[in-house]
Amino acid sequence: MNSRIQNVLAHEWRHLAGSVSNLLYVTVIPFLLTGEALLVIALVHRFAGSAIVQSGALTSMLDRMAAQVPILSAASREEQVLAFLVYQFSFFSLLVPAMIANVFATLSLVEEKLSRILEPLLATPVRTWELLLGKALAGAIPAILVSWLCTGLFLAAGTGLGWGVAIQAVLTSGWLLSVLLLAPIVALASFLVGIVGSARATDPKGAQAAAIFLVLPIFGLIALQATGAIWFSAGIVLLLAAALALVDLLLLRMAVRLFSRETVVIRWR
Amino acid sequence: MDRAIRVDRLSRSYGKRPGIEEITFSVEPGEVVGLLGPNGAGKTTTLRILAGIIPPTSGRATVAGIPLSQPERLHQAVGLLPEAPGFYERATAWRNLVYFARFYDGVCVEGRVEACLKRFDLWERRDDRVAGYSRGMKLRLALARALVHEPPVLLLDEPTAGLDPEAARDVRDLIRSLAREGRVILLSTHNLTEAEELCARVALIRTRLLAYGPPLGLRDRAAPPVVVVRLEGPAEVSPGLTALPFVRSARAHGDRLQVELASQADRPALVEALVRAGARVLEVTEERPSLEAAYLELVHDERRPA
Repeated sequence: MNSRIQNVLAHEWRHLAGSVSNLLYVTVIPFLLTGEALLVIALVHRFAGSAIVQSGALTSMLDRMAAQVPILSAASREEQVLAFLVYQFSFFSLLVPAMIANVFATLSLVEEKLSRILEPLLATPVRTWELLLGKALAGAIPAILVSWLCTGLFLAAGTGLGWGVAIQAVLTSGWLLSVLLLAPIVALASFLVGIVGSARATDPKGAQAAAIFLVLPIFGLIALQATGAIWFSAGIVLLLAAALALVDLLLLRMAVRLFSRETVVIRWR
Repeated sequence: MDRAIRVDRLSRSYGKRPGIEEITFSVEPGEVVGLLGPNGAGKTTTLRILAGIIPPTSGRATVAGIPLSQPERLHQAVGLLPEAPGFYERATAWRNLVYFARFYDGVCVEGRVEACLKRFDLWERRDDRVAGYSRGMKLRLALARALVHEPPVLLLDEPTAGLDPEAARDVRDLIRSLAREGRVILLSTHNLTEAEELCARVALIRTRLLAYGPPLGLRDRAAPPVVVVRLEGPAEVSPGLTALPFVRSARAHGDRLQVELASQADRPALVEALVRAGARVLEVTEERPSLEAAYLELVHDERRPA
């Protein structure tokens, strides 16, 4: 990594660390989301698990899961329901990088835009791609690490709560790929959406509104998974990752064009 | 190495709207040149092109010998003070300068930042957040930032806008001292007194270059100087006076004659003619239009339909 990218990266982190509200956003909200997921799974399993089994609503989905994951074939229906609930966390955890990277991008860029820092910044020899990459890494690295940390905590807490079989069952290659591979791709997409949103926005909240275009598809994935419409095997997750990477490339192209020196000083108001 | 700014028929348009059209001028080392013109005349566009931030539509320019086609080298050679010099307000002055200094090659960052903060009298406040700085302090910090990589060329966009008279004088003194170091300084300003005081030459632009030269020459070009002759006794404009070939116009006012001459070299001939006609000449002075009057004259001439 060249020294200019390192300079941007260090500056962004130092700058973000200087704001207590931003730090809280990065540290507290992801863990609250993880805690919320654990709570919801525990409550649904405790109070509605038997009802779900008796209703037969998930029977075909549970059968399909049991066929894919050998350990579940010998498990009780209640344990299969618990595994199904735990399985939903993989896409739910994508909300963390989506939120953090977007907040990093918009806070950083909108502040620079409103404080009129971009013109003197673009008069330095820093290249557009170096500036964008430094900012992207500054947002993506904590977003990915926090996302993985939350997943680790979720698995540890689940094991602690006695969900060992369910946890073991969901640790399939598809689930791991969705956590390990999709999180960085979503983080980059979220950062780029933040840049695109910042070009027109006059405050960070306005810029963050564009993140809805990323968060909604994630909810769509959660819905597809939760209703059993699609079983996200490793192959499907890889296909999904490739499609998202393509979206990242398109967004990157758009962001580089939007962030060119000329566009920034003439059109960004 | 050529340290000057050389601009040759530079144009830039925004869609169909012209930003600047075929502007030509130069700035030599140690010289301060002012860009004058009304709002929207193209002053900031010119500075942005020369800073390598936006490309021209046509024309050529070199800054410190570097063509506009090499913006990365250009950024290294130019210090820009934009019209609105923004900062990371929550960061300290030290942190702001260090961040910018690290983008340049071959800069001993901490040493240069320290030298710049000391030069601009901000060293004692280096650990204060910029949010707490006055406008004058922020402008000094912006100048320090523009100089942190020791560029040979400085582009200053309205460097004293919004400052109180004392802070503006301090900034003008700083600009003079920077020019004495041999730097090439191009500044845009609305302040005509400042332009007259600081600039060896001014370029009056209104999309196109209307006039270029020393402020004094600009005034003469807009309205030629008038010779005021104080006489013993009441003055009057005689037909003989207006018939002189070098007299363009003449007016009498009390004991004074105001005569517009074809050239200042005709002054002795005028005095000689008056004395020959029996006038007793007490004093001969020259009355020049102010730069403001010249500016308005030139800009209004341009606005008049051809």
